[in-house]
Amino acid sequence: MALMPKRIKYRKHQRGTMKGNASRRNYVAFGEYGLQALEPHWITGRQIEAGRIAATHYLKREGKVHIRIFPDHSYSAKPLETRMGKGKAEVEGWVAVVKPGTVMFEIGGVDEEVAKVALLRVAHKMPIRCRFVTRRHSIG
Amino acid sequence: MSTNAVVLKADVRDKWGSNQSIRLRKEGKLPAVVYGHKQTPVSIAVDAREFVTGLHHGHRLFSVDLGGKKETLLLKDVQYDYLGKEVIHADLIRVDLSERATVQVPLDFRGVPKGTTMGGIFEETLTQIEIECGVTEIPELIGVIIRELGLNEGLYAKDIELPAGVVLKTDPDALVAICHESKAAASVEAEGEEGAEAAATEPEVITERKKDEESD
Repeated sequence: MALMPKRIKYRKHQRGTMKGNASRRNYVAFGEYGLQALEPHWITGRQIEAGRIAATHYLKREGKVHIRIFPDHSYSAKPLETRMGKGKAEVEGWVAVVKPGTVMFEIGGVDEEVAKVALLRVAHKMPIRCRFVTRRHSIG
Repeated sequence: MSTNAVVLKADVRDKWGSNQSIRLRKEGKLPAVVYGHKQTPVSIAVDAREFVTGLHHGHRLFSVDLGGKKETLLLKDVQYDYLGKEVIHADLIRVDLSERATVQVPLDFRGVPKGTTMGGIFEETLTQIEIECGVTEIPELIGVIIRELGLNEGLYAKDIELPAGVVLKTDPDALVAICHESKAAASVEAEGEEGAEAAATEPEVITERKKDEESD
């Protein structure tokens, strides 16, 4: 089932904007290979879970999958055939706000070819265009 | 790494700011800053293509003509755009060729660990180490042979064979790589199951609880 926070301060959030690019979380930090978002989007907890299952099933207990995003933003939706008004609707689900450049998934401990296929499977579960990236060593 | 410094053409920048930097990049130049040796920092613009070619060939030492004075510069930092594709800025530090510098060098793990054939997973915990060496002797990579790494065995920074004249600056007891049993995948799946259980309930709202307490 989908990911969601355990404890929150307020149940309902405003929708917010997704303008700009990722200035943090935009490099491979934990594994060797990563899946980078190329578009801004809300990624639901279910989509993240589907991506995790797709990767772990392909890797067959080899390597390690790191999930870099977490659905900590709630969205509400009114039920069908309901008139407008009467306050903000109930929480429908939880999403992670992803901006272009965000590294969403990382894989380590496997060959590049294996990681590529695993992350391609994850990419198919995502609602956005993604890119395969490798770790870049820092200088200095 | 090559001991020869890459010669770069550079212009001293007299206008600063993001708009000026964007304009420079459109002209095929790369904004950079030069500092060190207790001299005033100088903002410069170098040819982006020459710089990136040098960087991709593993060069870290650059020779730049600054106002008629030739300076040897060591690459200190590189900034990339949000996708990590294009270089947008570089930090260069003044050095003497006889000087020793402390730099981060990536590790190159060679071979297949013995432990992986016994069902283990090889995991890199450190992908680069800090070393001190002469500026002309900075290695591009440090090779680490991991063939002898058995199951549940770790490789530490002190175990890495360094080239002559290179001193390790990273903590010698720092774990570089480990070959452990395939627990990670199992734990991830277990986490997933736990997550499914947790998902059945709603998150606990901290502020709501406080309101209830107040009403009581």
